[in-house]
Amino acid sequence: MSTKRTLDDDGNFEHPIYKTLLATPGLSVGVASLDDLMAWGLTNALWVFPMATSCCGIELMATAASRVDIDRMGTIVRGTPRQADVMVVAGTITVKMAPRVKLLWDQMPEPKWCIAMGSCAISGDFYRNLYSVVPGIDTFLPVDVYVPGCPPNPEALMHGLLRLQEKIQRQRKGEKVVPETNPALIEVTKPSVPRLCDSTRTQAMDAAQLASATNATTDEVSEPLVVEFTGALPARELLAADFEGVLKELGVDAAVKDGPPLVPAARHVELATKLKALGYRQYVSVIATHWVAKTGRKGKDESEPEHFEVTTLLRTVGASSRVAAWCVRLAPGEALPSLAKLFAGADWQEREQWDLVGVPFADHPDLRRLMMPENYTLHPLRRDLAADLPLAPWR
Amino acid sequence: MLRGRHAVTRTLTVTRRIDPHVAIDRYDPEAELMLLHFGPQHPSTHGVFRMDLWLDGEIVVKAVPQVGYLHRAVEKLCERLSYSQITPIVDKNDYVAPMTNEQAVNMAFEKLLGLEVPRRARWIRTIFAELQRIASHLLWLGTFAMDLGGALGGGATVFLHCFRERESILDLFEEVTGARFHYNTHTIGGNRHDIPAGWAAKVKAALAVIEARIPEYECMTLDNKIFLERTRGVGVLAPDLALDLGITGPLLRACGIDHDLRRDAPFHAYDEVTVNVATAQGGDCLARMIVRMAELRESIRLARSMVDGLPEDSGINSGKPIKLPVSIKVPAGQAYVALETPRGELGTYLIADGSQFPYRLKIRPPSLHALSALPYILPGVTISDAVAILGSLDPIMGEVDR
Repeated sequence: MSTKRTLDDDGNFEHPIYKTLLATPGLSVGVASLDDLMAWGLTNALWVFPMATSCCGIELMATAASRVDIDRMGTIVRGTPRQADVMVVAGTITVKMAPRVKLLWDQMPEPKWCIAMGSCAISGDFYRNLYSVVPGIDTFLPVDVYVPGCPPNPEALMHGLLRLQEKIQRQRKGEKVVPETNPALIEVTKPSVPRLCDSTRTQAMDAAQLASATNATTDEVSEPLVVEFTGALPARELLAADFEGVLKELGVDAAVKDGPPLVPAARHVELATKLKALGYRQYVSVIATHWVAKTGRKGKDESEPEHFEVTTLLRTVGASSRVAAWCVRLAPGEALPSLAKLFAGADWQEREQWDLVGVPFADHPDLRRLMMPENYTLHPLRRDLAADLPLAPWR
Repeated sequence: MLRGRHAVTRTLTVTRRIDPHVAIDRYDPEAELMLLHFGPQHPSTHGVFRMDLWLDGEIVVKAVPQVGYLHRAVEKLCERLSYSQITPIVDKNDYVAPMTNEQAVNMAFEKLLGLEVPRRARWIRTIFAELQRIASHLLWLGTFAMDLGGALGGGATVFLHCFRERESILDLFEEVTGARFHYNTHTIGGNRHDIPAGWAAKVKAALAVIEARIPEYECMTLDNKIFLERTRGVGVLAPDLALDLGITGPLLRACGIDHDLRRDAPFHAYDEVTVNVATAQGGDCLARMIVRMAELRESIRLARSMVDGLPEDSGINSGKPIKLPVSIKVPAGQAYVALETPRGELGTYLIADGSQFPYRLKIRPPSLHALSALPYILPGVTISDAVAILGSLDPIMGEVDR
């Protein structure tokens, strides 16, 4: 039998294997160019890497789940960049997150595509021009398909994926589908494009950060605890609260116009300790506020120097739960004694207020920034800072 | 409520509390420690959350949670928005239960404005809150079962079941508000959208389906030996630590503490109905599961009874017409309002200075307090349990970072 490739009279390919294949029942054979095959394969196995950060991530989950089920078009969700073709950036990207997104994008093998899902990923939406949000991921990623919406419906994301399939097929056929860069658009985005790395960041800063992350401040194990809540709880009659009584005992005038009673900073911990013993066992929150200097209007109100107010909230547990709130007024730079030893929850709350408002807390075990990167220098919730602060530097 | 074989009674003995601030070099110098950055991009971190885990073999020695990867500056943004513009912004905070977010800020504005919300609007808000709790707990159950992974027969099974039922709740919301989530349906002094005709019947039909399927979920989870092995006694949170940390909601009730703001500090129309508060003993992942399943049933009961008795005697908005958005001036003062969301106490502390914009708006997110428990409960567990514990806390990073 000759293996020479020839064509029969009808112009069909008559290799013996081909003939055997044709004779096999239930099998059909086609011939295509390699590019078509590639396009066919790529479009029908688009594996999605979910760069899901916020609300759009929930709709991305819904797209993969029961009702819409993108498995039908060969698209499955893979949690690792190394096995994925499409990165769907679903949600707001902050300056703290953006370097991670870039890193994950770089880890994805070629060929790869990117879908910007939702208005935050496209432009930053109403978080645009805020100090911590990247104004659209196309400032650092090449985006192929934009799916607008807040959040886009699962059907919209499905449509975006179908459009991406079309785009890939056209690309394989040699069509140029990458649009020309729009100079006007670049002009709009350029002023707020963040720097990709902070040139001022040194190795010493990294080391210092690691040291502070594992800072030794207290003994290895704290004292044994007396657990009051065990077994069957008499929680409903647990607490009889008398906040006003405690205030009177401390010599604080409870009657304050529009706001919680003012307590001197020196009595802050004492008051919290007493309230905890009284039954205000649950730590609710701490709110620091920056008040800029106010020049009083004549005869109407008094002028006030710049100061901070820190309000602490505690709550009783069980029936007819009550909240105790008091306020401490601090001069700029003055530190408030920390409640972290008394209430473990004060640890993170006070860190957040230090980070965002800039009120220092004395004796805090670990006073680091909570929300913003370690190398950020401003306290953005101060009232004398504009809302559209410069972006935080990227790490 | 729960069937007898799941009602495990345990006694809680806590002798010491882990200090999360101990330096890692105080640990055994012979040990070969590994620092694992868990997140910020990992499917089981429920968003962009990072834990720096120091591992000795497979055991977590020290956990340093890092938040802020979704810090969207909401509080700063609110300071330059008029009061009626804030509702759609806070929708995005807790994106699994947006209804409750809207309610929280609008209640704070109403408190300072002295606005009385009509009875019908309060009832509608209550129904929305309960339906939202069902949707949120369903999403939690699906993702939690996925965290536990292949042990539950393929991992994604429970997830797909739960999302099927969650869609029916979203359909109900879509019919009223036009959106699957981010509804923007609450305004200052009432609601924007009234209930359409025939909606009550659809609610009851959807609830009947979900109620019939709860035994299926329990069959897949609580009747599964592997599920029980991976949750019982895992991630035990002591009640006193939970109170100190400000942990609220199902996590607190799973520690045996009988506290629910719906009953203990009623808002909306909860003073007109009876809320049965579910608690469980133990404070572990299993107790959290048990509490949430009981709450699912209770929410179905509440929503069903309230949608029947919806009062017809008032409109859905307070008498005062809301004029131009900028014309609302809230009188100077301070107010704290709190409500019980699927994750616990969501508080809003509002400081107004008499202008058109809030001077300071602090949102007290329940998830941030829940995550702050991790440095205390993670040391000593294996890394696979760390995933289960994180999932059981039900953190939503949108409200953690704001």
